[in-house]
Amino acid sequence: MKLPPFDYAAPKTVDEAVGLLAEYQDDASVLAGGQSLIPLLALRLARPAVLIDINGLQELSGISAANGHVRVGALTREYVAEESALIAGSVPLLAAALPLIGHEAIRSRGTIGGSLAHADPSAELPAVALALGARLVLRGPSGERVIDAADWFEGYLTTSRRADELLAEVRFPVAAAGTGISFQEVARRHGDFAIVGLAASLTLSEGVISDAGLAFTGVSDVPVRATAAEAMLAGERPSAPLFEAAAAVATEDLDPPADLHGTAAYRKKVAATLVRRGLQAAADSAATTGSTGRQ
Amino acid sequence: MAGILAERYTGASIRRSEDPRILTGAGRYVDDIKLPGMLHAAFVRSPLAHARVLSVDVSAARELPGVAAALTGADIEAMTVPGPDALSTLMGAGGPTPEFTLLATDKVRFVGDPVAIVIAESRYLAEDGCELVSVEYEDLPPVASARFALDPGSPPLFANLGDNIARPRSRNEFGDVPATFAGADRVYEFRIDVHRHQNVPMEGRGCVASYAAETGVMTVYAATQSVHVSKIAVAMRLGMEHDKIRVLAGDIGGSFGLKIGASREELAAAAAARQLGRPVKWVEDRGENLTASGQAREESFDVRAAVSDDGDLLGLDVKMVIDTGSYPGMGGMVPGIIEAMLPGPYKMTALGFESTAVTTNKPSYVAYRGPWASETFVRERALDLIARDMGLDPFEIRLRNAAPRTDPPAVMLTGRPLVGVTTIESLQRVAQLVDVAAFRRRQAEARAQGRYLGIGVATFIEAAPGPRSPDGPSGPMGMESMRLRLDEDGIVVLFTGQMPHGQSHQTTLAQIAADEFGVPFEQVRVVVGDTDLVPFGLTGGSRSATMTGGVALHGARQLRVKVLDFASHLMEASAADLQIADGRVFVRGDPDSGITVREVARQAAAGEFGAGVDADLQVEAAFDGGEGGWSGGSHCAIVEVDVETGIVAVERYVVAEDCGALINPAVVEGQVRGGVAQGIGAVLLERSAYDEAGNCQSATFMDYLVPTACDVPRIEIEHLETVPLDADVNFRGVGEGGMIVAPPTVVSAIEDALAPFGVRIYEQHLPPARILELIAAGPGEDPGGSHA
Amino acid sequence: MPDISLTVNGAPRSSSVEARKTLADFLRDDLDLTGTHVGCEHGVCGACTVIVDGRAVRSCLMLAVQAAGSDVTTIEGLAAGGELGTLQQAMWDSHSFQCGFCTPGFVMQATAFLAAHPDAGEQEIRAALSGNICRCTGYQSIIDGVLLAAERNRQS
Repeated sequence: MKLPPFDYAAPKTVDEAVGLLAEYQDDASVLAGGQSLIPLLALRLARPAVLIDINGLQELSGISAANGHVRVGALTREYVAEESALIAGSVPLLAAALPLIGHEAIRSRGTIGGSLAHADPSAELPAVALALGARLVLRGPSGERVIDAADWFEGYLTTSRRADELLAEVRFPVAAAGTGISFQEVARRHGDFAIVGLAASLTLSEGVISDAGLAFTGVSDVPVRATAAEAMLAGERPSAPLFEAAAAVATEDLDPPADLHGTAAYRKKVAATLVRRGLQAAADSAATTGSTGRQ
Repeated sequence: MAGILAERYTGASIRRSEDPRILTGAGRYVDDIKLPGMLHAAFVRSPLAHARVLSVDVSAARELPGVAAALTGADIEAMTVPGPDALSTLMGAGGPTPEFTLLATDKVRFVGDPVAIVIAESRYLAEDGCELVSVEYEDLPPVASARFALDPGSPPLFANLGDNIARPRSRNEFGDVPATFAGADRVYEFRIDVHRHQNVPMEGRGCVASYAAETGVMTVYAATQSVHVSKIAVAMRLGMEHDKIRVLAGDIGGSFGLKIGASREELAAAAAARQLGRPVKWVEDRGENLTASGQAREESFDVRAAVSDDGDLLGLDVKMVIDTGSYPGMGGMVPGIIEAMLPGPYKMTALGFESTAVTTNKPSYVAYRGPWASETFVRERALDLIARDMGLDPFEIRLRNAAPRTDPPAVMLTGRPLVGVTTIESLQRVAQLVDVAAFRRRQAEARAQGRYLGIGVATFIEAAPGPRSPDGPSGPMGMESMRLRLDEDGIVVLFTGQMPHGQSHQTTLAQIAADEFGVPFEQVRVVVGDTDLVPFGLTGGSRSATMTGGVALHGARQLRVKVLDFASHLMEASAADLQIADGRVFVRGDPDSGITVREVARQAAAGEFGAGVDADLQVEAAFDGGEGGWSGGSHCAIVEVDVETGIVAVERYVVAEDCGALINPAVVEGQVRGGVAQGIGAVLLERSAYDEAGNCQSATFMDYLVPTACDVPRIEIEHLETVPLDADVNFRGVGEGGMIVAPPTVVSAIEDALAPFGVRIYEQHLPPARILELIAAGPGEDPGGSHA
Repeated sequence: MPDISLTVNGAPRSSSVEARKTLADFLRDDLDLTGTHVGCEHGVCGACTVIVDGRAVRSCLMLAVQAAGSDVTTIEGLAAGGELGTLQQAMWDSHSFQCGFCTPGFVMQATAFLAAHPDAGEQEIRAALSGNICRCTGYQSIIDGVLLAAERNRQS
């Protein structure tokens, strides 16, 4: 399973990288962590004419806080994000999902931006980005473009990134006071992709749900936000019957894929279970969260 | 003199002599071999399960810079001798012989069937070259299931066979089957399915073949379980004399039955190497290993069980269909072993067994650790299903049916005496270790809280090598040979045809020889892996503990006698008064006298002696297995099933095993645990999956899942005190047992956990989705699996 | 073909390498360091694990050119002057391995893990090593080796 031939470029600046993308468009693939791309190359399923290695673009690394968001450079390694106190305190749903991504050695190289640009429908980070309403910052020849996560995932391994754009940064909203989170996942083995996963965020204000973010992974060719369930949760007090009803609403229109790891019926059933478990866990953790949004 | 002279090493968990190189990256596996001028091979493989090959055009591949050759199936045929599969011939499989070529010429018969070989300066370039080969296929209807293969309307895979029956239905009966069933209080009928899964060693198949035109010698560096069997395979296909072939093997990264003989790919690579006059390396990648190396266990069983109202299993009548895949492998031989082992250690008095083997458009059925394992699965599942229906405890039904150890011993229906079998002891011991009563209380409390725990038990025996038979030597493939020599530097060297691939022979055999000869462990060396140096042998069938341990023991004794005879001339004492211990030869009772073994050896090599003195300190030993014996044991698992997600956790796993005398307890325990892990994998994770078109759906490690450190619990092992049968050699094999008995153990536990839902399990593969289906179906009709 | 320079097992190495060549193949073929093994080439089995700039990585999922300027340690770099390290010695004492093919990956992953988590318990160690596949041992002996090494490190 040896990689096919390709031309290789290692730009030193973002402008240079964007220039190369503008030149090669869909004939180019961007190499960040490589943990998803290199297997595709080894299997000869991906055949780019040019590989643009962006690992030299240090300006795309880094985690900082600004304007109610945590800004995570696209090239930030997953293990760095995992060790970040800022993310642990301000974006707890992201912190909860990160240790579930593969294994340590994968997270040594894999990047936050890479995972979202690759958009595997069974990966954890796309569901987190969708549930939180993260925003993705792209750099292209004509400048910067910011996209909501809701508009980012278009199809199987397909995003709304234009061929001449580089994903530069992801902005995650800081969790509001009174927020509890849970990332639930059923996987065949520790570290595997989710058969089904749920990113859940609940904000309580005086015991009433003021905001809810629920997004699935593994139920479609893209991560799926359970907007109808979120709407029914808003304004209600947490309770087991409420979560049961939300689980039904969240899953009734799902049409999950079938594969070796689960039938469609299985995924749908498990999705409902994860909603019940996830909402309960999120509500429980919201109850222990202080006014600063930190636990 | 009975027993081993000085039990310093045997029975102790001596640290392995293999490990210093293994732990420092100094092991030498076949992909580590680099020869001057070496080229690399890759194969063009069929994307279709069943098709005629209309044309193969390698011209574009040949033009690619760096490609040294691109050869079609026809090209390879022209360089080789057509013939049947070497392993099948060796094992005497019998049955109709399909005609086929090393690389596909007129037909492809499974997705991954090799069609052409491209040889280049690097594997990268060889794969690039493969993409330039263009093959025209004419699609044929795929035979992707045994059911279709049995249909006379299915297109035959092999024209000369005329249908897809690899071995036609044959039936044997033991005892009075009709009377037993007619007279039984109850007759149970069910169908049990075992799914396709496979060996998955961490190192795949591969070889480096190098032909020296000046001498006409072909040297093959192989990953193999027997250098001699590989040599035979190469000789047959390349039409070469045996003395013109040398097969060498270094470290081998596991096999579990896969690497026996030489595969079609290896033979094609060797033929190409001879043609090109440059060494050719072919090492399969994981995709090839998962899709083309071979698979096993796809078997179905229609079972009838005759049972008394007291829970006696009176008889079984079993109809088996085995899916042997496309090209011949081991599939045709498995039913016979299953039939022989089906009664197990139980008292039943009637057995009817019939089997049919079919060919399908899937990879060949290869040997996989305990190839006959389904006999234990079927029998233990049957007992559990009967017990559950009758409200009997699973331990009790087994204790009731196990043959007690009598003198003379009970005889299995199929002929072998159950001499020295400790089934009852192992069942009782494992029940004690687990504390079944305490578990049942915990299980009840958990159920009240909506948690589902279960306990399962299964027992087995294994002919490793089995008891002495009046027909001849014990163990598959008869006598075990060994050459032992005292080297001039005082090292006792053992030349064995064993080919360790994880079994630690270089340690265990040295332990035995060191004790028996009388030198420190470090003064023994075990030589393996060179057809020029070692006698015929094969590592497999769990034979080595008895056969090779035994020949090492007796051979070391013979060598000691010879060395003492020689030393008696040096020391002017009679051999009967001399002893060897701790590397010294001395007069009995006076250990400070005498000389070192090293000195004796030096003198033998350097001196000149008269006609009456034999200074050739070497012996050729052979061992027939002695009294042989059974291995076996009972396993018990405790699982928890999450009934909302179908995820199963194995909470506890306990083994009470009997493999006779232990050479090295740590090695034994490692073998048991590794086998159990594969059994857990088979039930919860592993399936070689095919769709109706014969496409492999488990072609990467993302889909063929093997257990990890989070899937296998601590496995508690107690070694039973065995029944010694032989004056000297009571080591018995243990390599396969874990994998044979773990699947029914785990399935039994899952069924017990799901008992409140009325679940009954008739299959071996239980992924999460299947668990939920079984729960939803409850005691009703099996709704049909989530897989074919 | 890009030229790369990097440090491997403490020694500076330079080479010309095709961009598509993985770090695993570069180590094995170009530098003759065959201790790092290739088990799957798609990043699942962990047999190819090496340490790059202090982090355990799967060398089949890195291009050699990506290791330019980096500090790489392979299994061959652990036994200084032929003396087994604490982890290797503990694994020897624990009968951790059988066929040895997965061994370098486990040793490198466990080395990196113990350096960062010297007091990890059994469950943490199992989770940390769950990305390395062994087909022979059922893992218990490997875990025991790591636990023994951690204990010995604490005592010294």
